Amino acid sequence: MVVNTISDQDVEEMFELARAVALEAGQVIRENFYKDKVVDTKMSAADLVTETDQAIEKMVHTKILAKFPDHKFIGEESTHETHKHELTDDPTWIIDPIDGTTNFVNHIPEVCFSLGIMVNKQTVIGIVYAPIKEELYTAKLGQGSYLNGEKLQASKIKELKQAVILFEGGASRDEQILQDKLKNVHSLFTNARGVRSYGSGALSICNVAAGRGQAFFEYGLHIWDFTAGNLIASEAGAVVTDPSGAELNPLRRRVLVGCSAEVAQSLSKVLTHLDMGWD
Amino acid sequence: MTEQELDEMFSTAIEVAKEAGKVIRDGFYKEKTVDTKISAADLVTETDQAIEKMVHAMITKKFPDHRFIGEESTAESGEKHQLTDDPTWIIDPIDGTTNFVNHVQEVSFSLGVMVNKKTVIGVVYAPIKEEMFSARLGKGAYLNSEKLKASDITDLKEAVIIFEGGNSRDAKLLEEKVKNIHALIAHSRGIRAYGSAAVNLCHVAAGRGQGYVEYGLHIWDFIAGALIATEAGAVVLDPTGSDLDPLRQRVLCACSPEVAKALSQILTHIDTGYD
Repeated sequence: MVVNTISDQDVEEMFELARAVALEAGQVIRENFYKDKVVDTKMSAADLVTETDQAIEKMVHTKILAKFPDHKFIGEESTHETHKHELTDDPTWIIDPIDGTTNFVNHIPEVCFSLGIMVNKQTVIGIVYAPIKEELYTAKLGQGSYLNGEKLQASKIKELKQAVILFEGGASRDEQILQDKLKNVHSLFTNARGVRSYGSGALSICNVAAGRGQAFFEYGLHIWDFTAGNLIASEAGAVVTDPSGAELNPLRRRVLVGCSAEVAQSLSKVLTHLDMGWD
Repeated sequence: MTEQELDEMFSTAIEVAKEAGKVIRDGFYKEKTVDTKISAADLVTETDQAIEKMVHAMITKKFPDHRFIGEESTAESGEKHQLTDDPTWIIDPIDGTTNFVNHVQEVSFSLGVMVNKKTVIGVVYAPIKEEMFSARLGKGAYLNSEKLKASDITDLKEAVIIFEGGNSRDAKLLEEKVKNIHALIAHSRGIRAYGSAAVNLCHVAAGRGQGYVEYGLHIWDFIAGALIATEAGAVVLDPTGSDLDPLRQRVLCACSPEVAKALSQILTHIDTGYD
């Protein structure tokens, strides 16, 4: 296991703040969940953003800067189309203020705040908080992952034929991309026990960590969608890779999480791999 | 049927659901012995069968003249069903058996009661999530004690639609289902899939999603959820837009007639036969 050079004490300090901002962000989500939303769109009519997304990100960014002025920050709402990210060794807080914005707008409970912290290009802290479902997922590198204090263990299933696979339709409405994604859905029906779809990448990965489903994959998502979830999943015994089977590249906009190496490999073989560019 | 009789039937339905829920909850985290039915993805466990037997016994004891349609006794006998005017209890002991086996939380017990071929009582209990959905004809739908109201969205482009892959692994059928999923993603705000028809209908009733459509399911999967949905203000139809035929193995549920119509127009309608 690769051990990071950062001290336990530094991790603890960052974790305390991370947990606190997660709970605060969750409170804002909860307060606004049942209201009607003013909605804007980003890259397609299905790619939504609300004032709440933006407000939460601002609040979190401010709190992090106040305590750790030298740390770096990558947030979904402060990222623009033309801005490509670079990962450095510096402690970097990567946040999605609301993962599952469509769920947030359409009153579907699978909405969460996601915060991952990378140091030396390795994720050391992951927090995903789903306030409507009252589920707080946390992980620290090498220390296991937890759901509301209960230790998580991914499924032990090794056969794809026995696995339920989680996937996302995604925000793109580009016809070619949709066709490739549907090819994958067809492949899942044929090769696995079934498919599920919840509308939040972060929560789907946490579901795999919790053994509620055996794999998740997506093409076209972003570093802020999966950084936290990936640590939560790997600390629960799941494997996290690029969908092709290669090592995960955090800026490559795609991920595959399998409860076991065998399921991950089998899944990789039956998928059409999409290239969705870089963050 | 008198109000009093209906009250009694409703109390029994809730009681039965709670008992079934206990058995589901007890079995949920254990390893299961699994058999298959029409395909490798159509699962049944001893728990399905035990619950159905228990429920059948409970109902027959209280209402010996009433009829009973259950998923597992139908699978055994292979009979085709006929709906009569008699009070008929229609149950799915575990809707979402795959979820039950794979530890996915959307597992439910579904019980609908029909009288004179109309659904008068619907109960769907999801014990792992502690959600008891219920409805009586003309009296609204509830989640635990909270009254339910479907969304008021009328534009499909703003709707999130729920679908199911289903149990069949027939190649042609799968192709058509995938075509439908493609149409859903292209025309709506997004798709969801939870693995239980009963739960899906309850989600539309609760405003957690604006539509649900499935081909190839059975009367016991949707009869209770359909009442819960309509009592919450949603519409339930045949996917083509005509009246729902409870034995026709397909259902479309939408938060509004407008969303229902729009959905109906973009879907490829699949014929899987009759219960």
